[in-house]
Amino acid sequence: MKVQYQPKPPFLLSTFLVIFIIHANQVGIGIHGFQRVIFMVAKQDSWISVLIAGFVTHIVVFVMIKTLQLYRSTDIYGIHHDVYGKWLGKVFNSLYILYCLWVFLIILKNYIEVLQTWVFPTIPVWLFSSSIILLVIYGVTGGVRIIVGVCFFSVALSLWMFTFIGYPLRFADIDQLLPVMESNFVSILKGAHKMTLTIIGFEILYVIYPYMEKKDKLQKYAHIGIAGTTVVYLLLMLVAIVYFSPGQLESTIWPTLSLFKIVRLPIIERTEFVALTFWLLIILPNLMLYLWAAVRGVKRTFGINTKGVLLAFTTCIFVMSLFINTRIKINRFNDFFASVAFYITFCYPLVLYALARLKKKMNVHKENMK
Amino acid sequence: MFFKKKIYSPKGDIPTKNQDPIPETREKMSFEFKNRLQHSTDILENEIGSSGITIFSIDTLIDKTMFHQNIIEPIKDLSFHSIHDVLKHLPVGEIKLSNQMTIVVKSALEGNVIIYLEGETSVLLAKIPSKVERSLSIAENETNVIGPQIAFNESLMTNISLIRNYIKDPDLCVENFIVGSRTNISGAILYMSGIASEQMITTLRQRINEIEIDGILDSSVLLQFIEDNSLSMFPLMSLTERPDRVCDFLLKGKLAVLVEGSSLAIISPHTFMEFFQSLEDSNVNWQIGTFYRLLRLVALFFSVFLTAIYVACITFHYEVIPQTLLLTLSESRARVPFPPIIEALLLEFFLELLREAGARLPTKVGQTMGIVGGIVIGTAAVEAGFTSNILIIIIALAALGSFVTPSYKMGNVIRILRFPIIVLAGFWGFYGIMYGFCFILMHLLRQSSLGSPYLAPFYPPRFADWKDSIIRLPISFTNKRPSHTRPKNDYKYDHDKAKEKKRP
Repeated sequence: MKVQYQPKPPFLLSTFLVIFIIHANQVGIGIHGFQRVIFMVAKQDSWISVLIAGFVTHIVVFVMIKTLQLYRSTDIYGIHHDVYGKWLGKVFNSLYILYCLWVFLIILKNYIEVLQTWVFPTIPVWLFSSSIILLVIYGVTGGVRIIVGVCFFSVALSLWMFTFIGYPLRFADIDQLLPVMESNFVSILKGAHKMTLTIIGFEILYVIYPYMEKKDKLQKYAHIGIAGTTVVYLLLMLVAIVYFSPGQLESTIWPTLSLFKIVRLPIIERTEFVALTFWLLIILPNLMLYLWAAVRGVKRTFGINTKGVLLAFTTCIFVMSLFINTRIKINRFNDFFASVAFYITFCYPLVLYALARLKKKMNVHKENMK
Repeated sequence: MFFKKKIYSPKGDIPTKNQDPIPETREKMSFEFKNRLQHSTDILENEIGSSGITIFSIDTLIDKTMFHQNIIEPIKDLSFHSIHDVLKHLPVGEIKLSNQMTIVVKSALEGNVIIYLEGETSVLLAKIPSKVERSLSIAENETNVIGPQIAFNESLMTNISLIRNYIKDPDLCVENFIVGSRTNISGAILYMSGIASEQMITTLRQRINEIEIDGILDSSVLLQFIEDNSLSMFPLMSLTERPDRVCDFLLKGKLAVLVEGSSLAIISPHTFMEFFQSLEDSNVNWQIGTFYRLLRLVALFFSVFLTAIYVACITFHYEVIPQTLLLTLSESRARVPFPPIIEALLLEFFLELLREAGARLPTKVGQTMGIVGGIVIGTAAVEAGFTSNILIIIIALAALGSFVTPSYKMGNVIRILRFPIIVLAGFWGFYGIMYGFCFILMHLLRQSSLGSPYLAPFYPPRFADWKDSIIRLPISFTNKRPSHTRPKNDYKYDHDKAKEKKRP
């Protein structure tokens, strides 16, 4: 395979769309219940954890883009090939493909669980997962432009939900934020670590990078996207802390959804029903981007570009989604995933950057020797 | 004239390689001509007294008065030695010489008379077609309150002249084509050269030239051949009967296609949002135009989703309905024996029947449909306990919403779109509605019109074009042509100059 990959001009995307890609891919399923997990560790200082997590994300993304900029136009698959060589590169690429599929399964599974708990307790899992997967296949076969289009609409059409943040604030108790910095720094950091599952998604940059029109402006837009996500998480965290009492928050699995319950409009009661079903549009870009990234990985690494790959992947995910079926299993699955994802999304980019720099230097050195 | 460009290529006049010559004697010519036209009874053969000239024509295709005044009258008392002499005496604008029998027959079918002089290798073709067209009338399918009222008729020449009367610019380009191996209908591609994108013109030309079919009778059929994706339910190019609308689009850098015998012009590229815009929006104040456009969007949402939301709420999510409304709802539904999905589908089906009957019935009978449908069946259905009152209100609202859409084609799509969404709502509630919505969104994202994105200016986002899509800002704000047409010339006028002029 070639290290460089330059898509044809009609497939290039305007660079500012990366705001929507990153934001849409970060916000997904974790936002439903991240407040509780962090609150358990960092108490009323959880919002500091969110800020720290956001800050770290900025650094990681900065490094990621620096890594990509070492090459002219390539994705993580090309970098792996260059850094690790032919065979080891294939192994690492396969691992990354597996990671993408794994995220897909996590998102799908969590969404179905929420749907079953809140809206349709009787509809079986296979019906949900097969219907969602069909929708995702339809989108992914349309190509990268369609996927990014869904990202854009997903962000643009869900902006109305923010207006509902005001409702719980009427019952807010600001004193619950005090005293600030009561928890020690370690537990705040631990809280930030717990944000992993919620804040990941920015690693899609590694795959979408070659499709960007002006690669020098990417840094700016990517950081705007991440800042947007961090602000959303921060707001939701703050609202959850001031609205719920500490004990209540610890026993609420999905605080964000519970916040929706308070919203009462003259024509709609129980807004969470609407919000939850609307969430399909919010998780669609996540599912599509990860599946697309996996299929692209196969194409780049092994040169296979058939619908068969897509079908094989989705069939595997469908079958696996049937087996993870209880709350405890899902929770353990999530926790295990989060611990692995932390290393893949936060630590690995730094390592890769170092390796890529080293490789570049070695190349220069070799040429000098010649 | 531009119509004849293709047929009378100069190659046909080269005498050395004539495969298909004109017969030398009058009898042979007469036989050959009639034979090629299957001895139809409307073939006319006039021998002009002393001159030695014979005129062949198809009686039903030529203008009788012109035939007598301009062809027979000037030459009947003269005698000629050469066919070129005849040419000097004919006061007809469009005369051609030809020595190919195929061309002779073809042009006879286009309203030419063939002037034949025995012994000559070529004949004269004089065009005097009979005009079978109705007079211009008021636009009835796309009505405007404020703005010009005229609509196209079925004559290509008249339609082009209507457009030329609006745009008196040398850059207005008319390109002719002929489509259908049997109907041989002529048509024209119109665009503003210097504004319209070359690439799109080439694409459209290529698509039309590649059509292989025996006959196309209307531009709406031609449209199905040249659309980007014929499997999609959504119209990817638009049809309009209004010359002013065509001109508006031409000035924005779009292409129009007119076909002989059709009163509808095809316009492409066309975006999804433009189907919800009427030219009247730009004829009224910008505030009012904006209001109309927003109103249509709300109507679109209502007509596609309202019935489905009702079904979903009643079937699965009655918690969502406020208590006070729930009371009236359950009261009115108490006597209805069917599940909501059947109730809704039944009533929607009934409404579609009414609409279709209204469209097919003669106008005089059509008025009774309103009474039968609206009053008799509507109230009777409620009283008999077939449906609930509230559903009737909702369905009427949804139907109204679909009729608000200025484009009839898009209105049809919206009405049909309702049915799968109602079914989805009946099975999966809100999730089903959202599922349908996501599918439609992705489907729309995948479409393109003449290669330009269908959902422009929303995706790919061109924020400058938003000023004239869902809303309409004053004309001074919208001096830029829409970018999805990829215009060669971006601006309608120089914005800075205009500002200077405004200053006192």
